[in-house]
Order: sequence, then structure tokens, then C-alpha cells
Amino acid sequence: MTKTLLSVRNLRIEFPTRRGTLVAVDDVSFDIMPGEVLGVVGESGAGKSLTGTAIIGLIEPPGRIGAGEILLNGERIDDLPSERMRRIRGRRIGMVFQDPLTSLNPLYRIGHQLIETILTHTAMDRTAARRRALALLAEVGIPAPDARIDNYPHQFSGGMRQRVVLALALAANPELIIADEPTTALDVSVQAQIIALLKRLCRDHRTAVMLITHDMGVIAETADRVAVMYAGRIVEIGAVRDVVKSPRHPYTIGLMGSIPKPDVDTPRLTQIPGSMPRLTAMPPGCAFHPRCPQAFAPCAARRPNLKPHGNAEVACWLFEPGAETCG
Amino acid sequence: MTADPLVDVKNVGRTFDVSKPWLNRMIEHLPRQFLAAVTGVSFSIAPRETFALVGESGSGKSTVAKLAVGLIPPSAGDVVIAGVSMNDPARRAERRRLRRRIQMVFQDPYASLNPRCRAADIIAEPIRAFGLFQRRAEVAGQAHELLRLVGLDPADGRKYPHEFSGGQRQRVAIARALASQPDFIVCDEPTSALDVSVQAQILNLMRDLQDRLGLTYLFISHNLAVVRHMARQIGVMYLGRLVEMSPTAELFAAPRHPYTRMLLDAVPDLDMTGNPRKPVEGEVPNPIDPPKGCAFHPRCPYANARCRVERPALLAAGPALVACHAVEEARL
Repeated sequence: MTKTLLSVRNLRIEFPTRRGTLVAVDDVSFDIMPGEVLGVVGESGAGKSLTGTAIIGLIEPPGRIGAGEILLNGERIDDLPSERMRRIRGRRIGMVFQDPLTSLNPLYRIGHQLIETILTHTAMDRTAARRRALALLAEVGIPAPDARIDNYPHQFSGGMRQRVVLALALAANPELIIADEPTTALDVSVQAQIIALLKRLCRDHRTAVMLITHDMGVIAETADRVAVMYAGRIVEIGAVRDVVKSPRHPYTIGLMGSIPKPDVDTPRLTQIPGSMPRLTAMPPGCAFHPRCPQAFAPCAARRPNLKPHGNAEVACWLFEPGAETCG
Repeated sequence: MTADPLVDVKNVGRTFDVSKPWLNRMIEHLPRQFLAAVTGVSFSIAPRETFALVGESGSGKSTVAKLAVGLIPPSAGDVVIAGVSMNDPARRAERRRLRRRIQMVFQDPYASLNPRCRAADIIAEPIRAFGLFQRRAEVAGQAHELLRLVGLDPADGRKYPHEFSGGQRQRVAIARALASQPDFIVCDEPTSALDVSVQAQILNLMRDLQDRLGLTYLFISHNLAVVRHMARQIGVMYLGRLVEMSPTAELFAAPRHPYTRMLLDAVPDLDMTGNPRKPVEGEVPNPIDPPKGCAFHPRCPYANARCRVERPALLAAGPALVACHAVEEARL
């Protein structure tokens, strides 16, 4: 058994407001092994991006980590001073965000941005850094890197820009990449290219990825394991095949059913009634129970915790024997 | 298709002038530049049917949507709705009456609703504009009825757009489109900004409304799976032209044009068959300077010398219309 690369334990992210503290992410725990791709899927507001932001230590105040810990290779990183966190960010944890135009500086040539990143995080000199930048651009599939290295971000198309962002994330050979909706802003044909590239790069570099997306299809293509988030908690986590093929949690079942499929004719899509609760109006018990078709006595009263079930872990009273009696 | 279509788009085209300002052109000796956003697109939609246009960004599908509702005039061709040309100056009076019967639902419900208006007022505006009801109480009653129709509580009419979630906002936008009692609704990426479970709610709602009210849709999306769910007839666009037009079942069972095949292949595989997908190289070219011949040839694995020089025409292939030399020559 290899050592866990990233371990998130009982993470809680809260926002103090005048009307009380809002809990956006609550009691989230998961591990990522070296070289593993963990998909985190959920709808907007589920807390998936916030979890990623917490790992790289970029939660915007007044938001804060209220409880729990984040361990990288067994070492706590959630309470590091910002100066030390900055050295981890970029070097040991790379980042890819949704919109490549906002994650690149429009005023600098991409070569400058790559070389600066390499110089900041490694001991290379400028010539070696430039050589490495060229190699990275070639690796992410930018044609004629010699010519393109001195281009500005606006001279690239959307897909090419996202490739440059991937090259930036890989510049210091990080152990983990946090990719937050890396393909959402791209056209389908380009999306397929970027997914294939991300998969290849992680395999070649043995880089682990936390892939945050709302697109189950992207997860099914890319991830080894998947965590399904709802209203700030993980409701189901397990091997991607198990979760996609035989979802257990009623929310995951609803989510899978609501995806229109290109190869099946369905007169009606399964729909989950209602919408995700607001942070200010979290229902008691299981946050999903007001929308759940299978809710019963204990659901409204107590919050279910993640319990192993088959190859997955599910947070649902349906999977806890004897739940009715104590509810 | 039945003999009497509600919407008939005839060889419609639209170019935009994207030239630099006059002074720059004079100083830098630049010619005028034109962008052909849509060229030679024809299709018709029978009453109570849904026709879908799919394509990637820059394919011209949204321009077709705007042409179909008359938001922009075509540079060539014509759009005829219920027998009335949308551009014949002689038929202005008829067209004004026709306007009521055409509505549009936009992609972003955050941008398409006036943030300073209450939902009920947003919905009531078309009712007043077309004079469907005169008395204040009747207008309000109608707005409440519409809110109920799209699955909202009439009490929600008091709320402002920011108080709604994305899905609820799109419901308000649909209620507004329905307020003028239209026959034909153009939906331009109506669910692209929404989460999947909300998307399912909106798609189901749109189908229910179509059945109940006998609506005709022009449905525009980049998502093939969504389109399959909604439409009976699909047109695939690439760089401003239709490359394939086919009944839905046929398109998914036997896609013909290499671009359609590529699009279908690019849809992430939820079945986890493990079949490696072969992503097509390259991206959509710049529409200001489209490739010669078939616009898809630089990315097409089946391209030959003819594809590079001669633009393929949209020809019948089985039940479909396909613009591809390889299909025509049975190389594919």
C-alpha cells in the first residue's frame, strides 16, 4: 500500500456573517493516493470548488477553515503561514482553473510566465528554464513551441490557452494538480482533447489530480474515484465505475438520471424536484431529505454519516440497518 | 415534414462588417473585412415540431436564431413564418401581427431578465405590449396563471430576479415568452447555464408545454444529448453552414458527415465502455478567413484533393442531407 498523498480530514469551511456563521463545507474527508485521479462532482453551490480552494490555501476572507485538517504527505498544510504555503502552491500543488483567459496574465508573453514559474520553484537558471518551458509546451501539444513561446495569451485559441495553463501547472512537477472545471469553458471537440491530454500527462508524470467538475461524463472518462457532493457534504464516494454504474445515494441516482444520454431515447428525464437548499436555510437531518423520493423517519431528524457499502461509501439512512428504530 | 411548415428558412445568409474604423483603414491601407456568420442555411419546421441546430461556438447557430425571430435582417435569403416573409417591406402590417406569435428564450437568465422588475411585471409586459388584456386585474391574473404554468408559485411574482435560483429564473423567462401566446419559440441554449438536475427540470417543462400548448420550437444547443432528447429533426452546423440535416434517430444511429461523427465521438462516455475516444485534432477555424473548399477539411481524416478546393453541396444521402464529398463518393 502506497502512502496517501493528500488527506482531507473533517474539513469545515465557514463564513461568518452578521446573521450567524454559514457552513459551506461540512465534515468533508477524503484521501488522494499518488497518481490517482479523484473526481469531485456536484452542482453549483455544493462546495466542491471551495474544497479545492481550501487545499491550496486560497480561501478568501471572511471565509475560513473552521475545523478539520489537510495533510500533504502526512504534513499539515492548512495552518501554514502564508509565506510557506506559497512555496507549496505551484511547486507541490499545481492549479488549473476554468477560464484560461483569466488564469494567464494578458500583459506577459506565455514564455515569460512559464519561465518565471520555473525559476520561482526550481533551481534552474534562465537558459535551462527556457529549455524546460519549450519542452513543456511541446508536451502539452502546442504546435511549433519555438514560435509560440513568445506569443501573448490573446494570440491563442481557447483550447490552446488551456494547454498553456496545463503546462504552467506542470512546470514545477507537482505531486498534485487541482483542476477546477478545466474543460467547462471549451467546445466539446476541444474538451475531448484536453481530457485526453490531462489523462496522459498525469500518467506520464505520476501526478495526482483532484478534478472538480459538474460534468459526470468528464468524471467517467477521467477519474479513478469520485466523490459526489451535495450541500457542502460528500454524500457518496467510491470507485468511479461503482458510482456511475450503480449509484446508491438517492441524490446520485437522481443526478445520473437527469443527464440526457446521446445513445438512449427517453421520453422524460428523471428530475429531482426542487433545488439545492441555500446556506441560510439548511434543512435539519440529511440536507437532501426534502427532495428525496425515499426519505423516511430518521432522515429529517439526524444527519447520516458516510458508511461503507460495497465498494463505495454512502451517507444515507437507507443503507444503515436499524435506522428506523433509533429514528 | 408535412406540406405546410410553420417556419420556412430559405437559403438564409448573414454577413457582418468587421472592418476596422474608416480612419484606420485609410492609414493602414486595410481593405474592408466581412465575416460570413451564416451562409445558405435552409430548413423548415412543421407546426408542433422541434427542429434543433447543433454546433460549436462560432458555427453561426445563434445568428440563425436571431435571423429566425427577425432580431437581425438576413443579408441573403428569407425567413417565412406562417406564410409571411419576415423581410418583405410590403408586408409590414401582417408582420406586426405575426410578432406576437414568435418569442425567444435566451441562454443566460441572469442577463435576460430586468433586475429592477418584479417577476410578475416582467411576465405582464408582453401581455400589455400586445394588448392581450386591458384591465389591470386581468393582466395580473394572466401573469399568475403563467407562473403556475411554468411550475412557480403565483406569490413568486412579487420577487425580483436576484431572489430566484438559475432554474427558477429560466422558468420566469419561459413564462415571459409564453405571455404573448406564441406559436413559435426560439430557444437559444436555454439550459447551458444550468446544473444538470435543473436542466432536466427545464427540458421536461419545455416538452410538457409543447404538448399542452402546441408550440413549435427552434432549439439551439451545443449539447448533442440534450438535442436528441428534444428534437425530431436536427441540423448540424459548422462555420456558418449546415453540414448535415437528418431525423434525430437517423443522426444518432448513422451519423454521416465526418464532423457529426466527431461531435458524437466527443461526447464523454457515461457507459464506461472503456473504448478510447480519438479526439479530433484542431479547433474551429477563424470565420473571417475560412478554409477553401470544405470548411472542415483541415480537421477531416477523410479529406482529399477535391475537399480542399471544392465546397460540397448539401445532397440527399438516405433520409439525411449531407454536405460531404466523401459521403457523396461513397468513400465513407
